[in-house]
Amino acid sequence: MKLLRELGIVGVSVALGLGVGAIITAATGYSVPAVFRELVRGAFGDIYGFANTMTQATPILFTSLSFLIAFRVGLFNIGAEGQLLLGGFFAAWAGFTLNLPPILHVVVCLFFGAAAGAAWGFIPGWLRARRGANEFVTTMMLSYVALYLTSWLVSPGGPYHGHQWANQTARIMSSAELPRLMASGRELPSWGLVVGVLVAVIAWYFLFRTPRGYEIRAVGQSPLAAEYGGVDIARAQILAMVLAGALAGLGGAAEILGTHRRFIEGFSPGYGWDGIAGGLIARAHPIGAVFAALLMGALRAGGRAVDRAGVAPSDLAWVFQGLVILFVVAPELIRYFKRIRLRRRAHGRPEP
Amino acid sequence: MGVLSLDLFVAALRLATPIAFVALGETFSERSGTINIGVEGTALAGALIGATVSFFSQSPWLGLAAAVGVGMLLGLIHAIWCVYLRSDHVVAGAAINLLVTGLAYFLTRVVWGWRGTSASAPILNPWLLVWTMVALVLISQIFLFRTPWGLRLRVVGEHPKAADTAGINVYRTRVGYSVLNGALCGLAGAFLFNNLGRFSVGMVGGRGFIGIAAMVVGNYRPIPAFLAAYLFGFVDALQMRLQDVIPSHFSIMLPYVLTIIVLAGFLGRANVPAALGKPYIKEEG
Repeated sequence: MKLLRELGIVGVSVALGLGVGAIITAATGYSVPAVFRELVRGAFGDIYGFANTMTQATPILFTSLSFLIAFRVGLFNIGAEGQLLLGGFFAAWAGFTLNLPPILHVVVCLFFGAAAGAAWGFIPGWLRARRGANEFVTTMMLSYVALYLTSWLVSPGGPYHGHQWANQTARIMSSAELPRLMASGRELPSWGLVVGVLVAVIAWYFLFRTPRGYEIRAVGQSPLAAEYGGVDIARAQILAMVLAGALAGLGGAAEILGTHRRFIEGFSPGYGWDGIAGGLIARAHPIGAVFAALLMGALRAGGRAVDRAGVAPSDLAWVFQGLVILFVVAPELIRYFKRIRLRRRAHGRPEP
Repeated sequence: MGVLSLDLFVAALRLATPIAFVALGETFSERSGTINIGVEGTALAGALIGATVSFFSQSPWLGLAAAVGVGMLLGLIHAIWCVYLRSDHVVAGAAINLLVTGLAYFLTRVVWGWRGTSASAPILNPWLLVWTMVALVLISQIFLFRTPWGLRLRVVGEHPKAADTAGINVYRTRVGYSVLNGALCGLAGAFLFNNLGRFSVGMVGGRGFIGIAAMVVGNYRPIPAFLAAYLFGFVDALQMRLQDVIPSHFSIMLPYVLTIIVLAGFLGRANVPAALGKPYIKEEG
């Protein structure tokens, strides 16, 4: 029942977001039916459309989990983009440097990615817990640092510039590749998606079935009550931020090992930001994040189809995404409408 | 002359201007109880709409007015979300940032056909906005601590129930100062456009967040917040001069790294408004 109500709120929010999006589409002179037709066709229309959606959803699933685990402790990790970039770079580094047997190599690369992200999450977590520094400012600042750092590493003056004209590293060894789920083609989802769903289930188990997860949720709901109950608030905050960083780093690693097979400057078109939307639409629930990531992935895949068909610029999908979150984060808006309806009903018939 | 010359200090004042506008706006907003991390996107919207209107009307003054107007609109939306719809303040601000970034890519493609940048448009002398900022900092310091309006504003952020009892409309006060914050962020964006002569989607580049940091370091007071903003502007000016000495990738990181260090080293958070980020629910009688 609670689940149904939550789903209803999310559904109405998404509809409101797309509705305002349609108004903006029309106001800028584009055809609303054409845009929505291409959006749906590009995201779900055929097997390739859906494959595209799943490919785009994979990194977003990781960053959504990253955002929501920090959100559960009451902190805002809005720097998943930087953690993802660092994780991607270190996974690629392990992929072209270390010489390991096939499956072990992938595991080690994923570990490197998660560790790099975890380190980038630890800094703002520690600064918040011990020094009181606003984590939404520090995660954002660290995101810029990671952006310029990884960009330097693969720039012509940097140590890992592995290509004549493009800013990217050398290709990872084939033993480090995450294979694609289906036969061939660039735009197909990799085993990274399976890893992501698995990680989502583990995150759910961790949050709802382990003492550490319980502590994280307790601090998020009421720090004072948690402290009274003997929870070490600082430790829970730092742990949540380390895990948030690790999850985003793992997402970058999965994207590099499964899709690009090398670190490319600017490989993320903003998957870190999509995670904020994904985590919120999922109402901070790890299993919900799987579906929220699919929705965000569908908007990206559909947006590209809208662009290819020449109906409107793909960035329109980004506008839709912004509107959807704006409505998702205002549950009172829907309750407000409901209250009006209830009041009308109350006036219509006698009180019981 | 070496790296440290008079023009370095002058350039620092110029680069501090957008940061100081945001810090000032956020001071008003947070003093009344509303956290707004959407300042980054609001400044971006100010620059985008300022450039667009100036481009089409060929009047930089109309562009300035439009920048302030769109800032106020976003401040109003943020306030409605936080005050009436009781969203989480940080999340509502993050949504505004995402929405504006998407709109910026979209509109630049619709209007100019380039993704993320505009054509050049007529501008005002940016120093006009620099001196406006300096004047507003001084006026705000007096307004906040020497006038009855400033006192009312601070009470709403510290103890909304007491303010309500004293006949101050908590909701309307919060909405009002949120709109003022939006206007000041619009000015920050207008400065960035008038400084460069065109719009570019990366032009805010974290200065909104650095503005929040400047406000924290300034302990929610306009003049100290301005001094903190000046420090960030100084480092920004310095890093541009260091680009011949160290790789530009590293010098560009300096303001971001400094922000983290300054926030970490700053512990005297004595003035955090008690009701910051908490929705006020008026009892219905």
